[in-house]
Amino acid sequence: MHGFYDFVSGPLVWISFILFICGSLYRLITMAVLAKEKDPMVYAYMDFYYAIRSIFHWIIPFGSVNMRRQPAMTIVTFAFHICLICVPLFLFAHVILWKESWNISWWFLSDGAADIMTMIVIGSCIFFLVRRLTRPEVRYLTSYSDFITLAIVAAPFITGFWVYHQWIGYKIMLIFHILSGEIMLVAIPFTRLSHMIFFPFTRGYMGSEFGAVKNARDW
Amino acid sequence: MRKNILIYMAIMVLGSLFFNVSVFSQEDITAVEDSAFDVRQIMRPPVPFFHDEHNEKAGVEECNICHHTYEDGKKVEDDSSEGMECSECHTLEDKSDPAPLVRVYHLQCKGCHEERKAGPVMCGECHIK
Repeated sequence: MHGFYDFVSGPLVWISFILFICGSLYRLITMAVLAKEKDPMVYAYMDFYYAIRSIFHWIIPFGSVNMRRQPAMTIVTFAFHICLICVPLFLFAHVILWKESWNISWWFLSDGAADIMTMIVIGSCIFFLVRRLTRPEVRYLTSYSDFITLAIVAAPFITGFWVYHQWIGYKIMLIFHILSGEIMLVAIPFTRLSHMIFFPFTRGYMGSEFGAVKNARDW
Repeated sequence: MRKNILIYMAIMVLGSLFFNVSVFSQEDITAVEDSAFDVRQIMRPPVPFFHDEHNEKAGVEECNICHHTYEDGKKVEDDSSEGMECSECHTLEDKSDPAPLVRVYHLQCKGCHEERKAGPVMCGECHIK
């Protein structure tokens, strides 16, 4: 088990971070080049003020008409995204690992809060799964890859919850936990999870076109 | 007279042996604890640690393998620091941030376990709920 643990917590962490960062840069650059070739108007219409205005309305809960029409989805998706980002970054156990390896540390959550936030993430994933299966308009837009993406996102939290509570098979589950986190990191640039890096640009462009060209709101 | 001295010495030797056994024995050390950790802040249970059992298994004979002393960044080979808490030297500048002290404890235990490829290295192997 030492060999396994050393491998997933050493070289594999490096590989996954390098793939995540380089993959994200690669996707951003190739998308920028593609836009320049196929749709240069994107550059002409991009407007900083309208971009920020649109992003602002879409990162505030209930800041858009669509969010007000779908209150359950709005609450779940905001809670989900906040917990999804905060738990891995501010979990005490993770902060300590950074401290051990790099001697750097930052603010951390209490384990009790992190436990509840993890349950929120897992619960939200179930909500998204049920939504994809039952809502006809969502089902229509769903392919198998969406279920795989959802599983990739849920796995680090399910395994993390499992190991925090030290249920049966602790050691193997911890290996799975680290592995699933690494898979998720690598999956960000290469799956639909890339909305994490593209969001400011897609939203910003929509805001620019609506604001500067159509003189309309896009929220 | 000489007989009296011998008896006196025998009592002293036996007495000091008893003293050693009762006061300096590590048998009653069963957990890694440090008074510098704020009880309200502790999020993981303290680590069960059976001093003598551990050292026998690990083949640790010199006290200062763990109870080290450093001077000007260099380990003092013939000195040791048993009886002291780690936090006496590894002090916490900011009492609300236990990370620096947690770090040295982890490097001390986990670091050695990783080096020797023996002993627990995963969080829950030591901090058992």
